Amino acid sequence: MAELMSMILTEDFLATIVRVGVPLMFASMSAYVAATSGLLNIAIEGIMLMSALMAVLGSYWTQSAVLGLLIAIASGILLALLLAFMTMRLGTDPFLVGIAINTFTSTFTIFLLYLFSGNKGISASLPSKVLPTINIGWLEKIPILGAVFSGQYLLTYVCFAFIIIVPLVIQKTKYGLRLKACGLNAQAASSVGINVNKMQVSAIVISGLLAALGGAYMTMGYLSAFSRNMIAGRGWIGFAAQAMGGSSFIGLSLTTLAFSFFQAIVAVLSRSDVSSDLLTTVPYFGVLFGVIAFSVVNYFKRRKLSV
Amino acid sequence: MKETILELRNITKVYHNGVVANRDISISFEKGEIHSIVGENGAGKSTLMKIIYGIESPSEGEIIHKGEKVKFRGSMEAIHAGIGMVHQHFMLIPTMSVVENIIVGDEPSNIRGIVDYKEAVKRTRELSEHYHLDVDVLSKIEDLSAGEKQKVEILKTLYRNAEIIILDEPTSVLTPQETETLFEELFKLKEMGHTIIFISHKLNEVKRISDRITVIRSGECKGTFENDEVDLLQLAELIVGRKLLSSYSELKKDVDDKKEILRVEKLYLSNKEKNILENISFSIRSGEILGIAGVQGNGQSELVRAIAGIGPMSSGEISLSGQRIEKLSVKKRRELGLSYIPEDRLGVGVATTAPLCDNIISSYYDRADINGHFFMDRRKISETANNLISKFTIRTNSIYTAVGDLSGGNMQKVVVARESNTDPICMLAEQPTQGIDIGSSEYIRTQLIEMRNRGAAVLLISADLEEVLSLSDRVIVMYNGMISAHLSNLDKISTNDLGLYMLGIRKQTSDELKEALYE
Repeated sequence: MAELMSMILTEDFLATIVRVGVPLMFASMSAYVAATSGLLNIAIEGIMLMSALMAVLGSYWTQSAVLGLLIAIASGILLALLLAFMTMRLGTDPFLVGIAINTFTSTFTIFLLYLFSGNKGISASLPSKVLPTINIGWLEKIPILGAVFSGQYLLTYVCFAFIIIVPLVIQKTKYGLRLKACGLNAQAASSVGINVNKMQVSAIVISGLLAALGGAYMTMGYLSAFSRNMIAGRGWIGFAAQAMGGSSFIGLSLTTLAFSFFQAIVAVLSRSDVSSDLLTTVPYFGVLFGVIAFSVVNYFKRRKLSV
Repeated sequence: MKETILELRNITKVYHNGVVANRDISISFEKGEIHSIVGENGAGKSTLMKIIYGIESPSEGEIIHKGEKVKFRGSMEAIHAGIGMVHQHFMLIPTMSVVENIIVGDEPSNIRGIVDYKEAVKRTRELSEHYHLDVDVLSKIEDLSAGEKQKVEILKTLYRNAEIIILDEPTSVLTPQETETLFEELFKLKEMGHTIIFISHKLNEVKRISDRITVIRSGECKGTFENDEVDLLQLAELIVGRKLLSSYSELKKDVDDKKEILRVEKLYLSNKEKNILENISFSIRSGEILGIAGVQGNGQSELVRAIAGIGPMSSGEISLSGQRIEKLSVKKRRELGLSYIPEDRLGVGVATTAPLCDNIISSYYDRADINGHFFMDRRKISETANNLISKFTIRTNSIYTAVGDLSGGNMQKVVVARESNTDPICMLAEQPTQGIDIGSSEYIRTQLIEMRNRGAAVLLISADLEEVLSLSDRVIVMYNGMISAHLSNLDKISTNDLGLYMLGIRKQTSDELKEALYE
């Protein structure tokens, strides 16, 4: 136990939380934007997986990290639009479409991987590009902050930017107010002349973009290659964090932070001699207990209200 | 000469499926009048309003707004032209504040799409003061009463500079007091030069506030009248297109061998703070309708739910034909001959997504004749459903139509048909005609009287005092969870007298109240 504490109480550990937390936060924000507009983006997991692969393939084809990133983003947005088209235009149940996209991508990515790299497990044979890490000179000298906020991958800073921009847009702008109105009462929104369809499509595009960034981060920073099913539930964790945070962005961020903490523990302990099979279950137990705690708290809140 | 602000000329609306919703309707609306449009559900009022509000476009005819021919493509254009609509179901977002609800879609902003909330609060406050529509603009919608929500809806239209305000059945969710407040507000708006188009089928309200009244029946305009040209009965007959019963008492027949059927004694229901029901005692004999009058929320609903067995009680006795039932399950009570028409039609009365034929047997689905040995006897069920449909003249496409797709009146007829099909000895009728059209209301009232004539005991709870007085043989009034009056000589009672008891201004002595319970 003391050993564990000594591992956790380091600057390194904080940096690890950020490193493992970025894809979770992208996933959470992706779910948040969609949910705000009244849609459930159940395909986040699949979108992240697809973009993670497309980032590798794209940067391999173009030999440019930036173009690879753009290709990853495009693939994410396309999948999100597919979800929107099926649910909003054709009226299919969002869960059904979400499950279809997730199962499709989990196997289609392996197919593509095999097609282009000849390997069914990992894309190591493809020389793909990664995005640079960024060192901020003046920040590095500050203890703790320097370790956490400097020397991270480019997409980490993009994530930080979105953490500031997303709530600002939702809380402060006309666009945000209207988006919330669509999500909370679509009929009421359309009765005052808001084009609900248009708003929701715009939200799903942003949601797709955010999920794609989370996916690209996995292969262009966190790791430098694609391996099968490497998203491993990160999209779902984001989805859960959104559901638990409700409409509160702070709630969502804190929940995501808690999940990141568990992920970071795994990352740290995997260097020790604890069984790795056991370790990988930690974040999922975290989610499970998180959801249980959340349900119990809500139950008592409701009971208190009804009495 | 008054100034015409909006005129409909020969409006006809034919839907794609060939249904003619409006046929050759011409109405003119004057500036600064309250103009009511009355008609049965499905008469075409809503379609007509959608045409004015730009949601539907007319197949033929034209709309003249301030002397100019207009064609609204979408409600946005109608809003810009100064037409506002308050929908029957609130178009509000419960978790948002009043201000946000009012401004959304048309927000004041300073730089680049950032909402200027300070300005928004200022403007909505000014608006609320100017029109005397008192509401705390910073509170959340979910914390408001129905009456306040309505104010927000009206403010929403005024914020968008509406000169013509359409209110679609605005009082259906309001208490009598809130309704009165709404009327005062509407009078003020009228004085300030706004035109109010008031859609309703509550004729006494229409008579109370309108300058002019237009009647629509089966998609056709049956004339526009000055308020003092027509009385209530004439109006009702214009709406249904036939003679109506002027009195229900002539339908009543004397019943021999009156026995006590329902007996409620010393019924209490209390929570930690207070008694919700206190010392309720009364009884009903066969061939008798006992009416319960009272302002909604004075315990009537809790009382009937306790008797029906779906709500709690703390102590007391309930007997049906001499047998104690207060501990029995709902099912047992029903088997003993209890029937219940609940107030919450959509939530308790029917399963909206289930077909009519299932709804019409749902309270006796396990009866041997329709529940075969293993499978339900579908043939018998359709036979039952078809019989009841023709007996109760329920308008539906087929017995498989989801009940939720029927009009309110037809939905209620399904409930009444089911509840009376078990030949109950005691019927609990809770707001049986609330929110439904005149034709169906009359039919349901006649059914209650017929049940009474067959020897059933009927408990009638209604917010409609006219209904209570015209159907009941005796009346008790509830105030604050207690019985405040028991009245058996109804010829001499006016709605005003009832009102005094309902508001708790008068209360009978305990000796007088004892008479509610037959010895």
